[in-house]
Amino acid sequence: MTSAEWQIVAFTAGMAVLSTALILVPGVGLAWCLARLRWRGKALVETLVTLPLVLPPVVTGLVLLKLFGRRGPIGHWLYSEFHLDIVFTWRAVALALGVMSFPLLVRTVRSAIEEVNPALEQIARTLGAGEWRVFFTITLPLAKRGLMAGTLLAFARALGEFGATIMVAGNIPGVTTTLSTDIYQLVQLGEDDHAWTLAGVSLALAFAAVWSSEWLTRRKKH
Amino acid sequence: MSLLLKNISLPLTPFTLEVDVEIHGRVTVIFGPSGSGKTSLLLLVAGLRRAKSAFIQLDDRVLTDVSQGVFVPTRQRGIGYVPQDLALFPHLSVRQNLFYGHKSSSHTNRLFTFEHIIDVLEIQPLVERGITELSGGERQRIALARALLASPRLLLLDEPLASLDLKLKLRIIPYLARIREEFQIPMLYVTHDRFETLALADEMIVLVNGKVAQIGSVQEVFSRPANRSVAELLTVETVQPGRIVKVADGLVNVAVGSVTLTAMEQNLPANADGVYVCIRAEDVILLKGGDSPSSARNHLSAVVQAVTREGPLMRVEVDCGFALAALLTKQACEELTVIPGAHVVALVKAPHIHLIPR
Repeated sequence: MTSAEWQIVAFTAGMAVLSTALILVPGVGLAWCLARLRWRGKALVETLVTLPLVLPPVVTGLVLLKLFGRRGPIGHWLYSEFHLDIVFTWRAVALALGVMSFPLLVRTVRSAIEEVNPALEQIARTLGAGEWRVFFTITLPLAKRGLMAGTLLAFARALGEFGATIMVAGNIPGVTTTLSTDIYQLVQLGEDDHAWTLAGVSLALAFAAVWSSEWLTRRKKH
Repeated sequence: MSLLLKNISLPLTPFTLEVDVEIHGRVTVIFGPSGSGKTSLLLLVAGLRRAKSAFIQLDDRVLTDVSQGVFVPTRQRGIGYVPQDLALFPHLSVRQNLFYGHKSSSHTNRLFTFEHIIDVLEIQPLVERGITELSGGERQRIALARALLASPRLLLLDEPLASLDLKLKLRIIPYLARIREEFQIPMLYVTHDRFETLALADEMIVLVNGKVAQIGSVQEVFSRPANRSVAELLTVETVQPGRIVKVADGLVNVAVGSVTLTAMEQNLPANADGVYVCIRAEDVILLKGGDSPSSARNHLSAVVQAVTREGPLMRVEVDCGFALAALLTKQACEELTVIPGAHVVALVKAPHIHLIPR
């Protein structure tokens, strides 16, 4: 592998790690709200969160492009307040990866939290624990495997993201090119050998992530 | 201790839990068949469930007052709760389980020391173990200790012994009795077991289909059930306090009032002295006058006090030195001319006398 190829692998893995880290706290928070609370609009939020899983990724990308472009409502605000550009920068890559993997994280963690016996949380409350202590000492440790599995799944999803990334971040060599977008371009240019090398790397990374996630989920059941 | 449960209304299926009682006993048993709303009542007291209407006050502190919008969160109630499945934290060690609530209670509010609780429940050897390495009875004691270590002002026990077999039950009951004596902590104890009730309760509330069918001292409720459904639920008509005077040859002599009864030796704790003597009304035979020999060990001269109809049978209450109830057919009553004031002999076979330590 050339150093340029290594750079792309490192950039993609780095973006996947960053996007996963960014969605972790809000994802777990939302998963808890969905698993443990009853509130108005819950069904709507559930649907919105799941949408990126079933929508064509380019559609999600298009929506993000409109929202975060300089003339879009969020993009405009970010640019005028902080002079921040999102689309067609590395930030857009992280954004696309995060949005696309968010549903996987939320769904996995949510079912892990639902499997925690609520009676244990109730007993913790009778022993004087407040909600934060209940969450960090009872709920989270007991949902730990599901949390790790969900995180790995989200990471794996981010590694392979293509459609949304190409819409909102493009394929700018050295700036926003990821494994998937590069493979696409290499095939377009007829450089199949290079494409296969990167495909092999993608396969290895994805295999490791999904396999660990499966292993964690299976062990949890025993 | 005083616990007010006023104006409580909680719709359950297929009935509504409606309770309006004042509780003063040290150990109050909430007695009732499965699905009579017993657990729901405990959850309301613990603040783990909300009722449509409720006023709950423990001593001078109002915990729930729906009409005023008062609802003290569970963690601030200082009420310990041991559920039926114990809910020990599976990911924590025994020690971490025990100290979970200990950390939350401030030093000044601690009612009992760790050492004292460990000592009373005899759990010293278990402290360094993992939760999965405990037997049923050990788990029970750890769950009790964990609740006590949080220094609660009231302990709620939801059928804590239901999952144990009789032998294990007999081993755990003395620990509960010791908690009652040593820590002076009031308890609300949910059960449908007569044995546990008699062994532990001062006061009892009989709950049937979400309604309080009777409230009173254990002896009162067992010997004078308020109505037929309570009587059927308890299935014991005579409950009298007695004292063991002699144990020999597999038989036990028990003094009840002015008479001494003979019963079979039972699985009583070695040092048991005071007992409740339980006799089912259908096990009592009445004879007219005389004292002809019979195989029954207990011949008691008695005077009929009252005769009441109970379905196809007649319930006869006699005074034989203590109040004893018998169930007879109408025909038998007529043949023996059982009327108030009549002299009869009551026979009870030794195996029909059940002794429960108190």
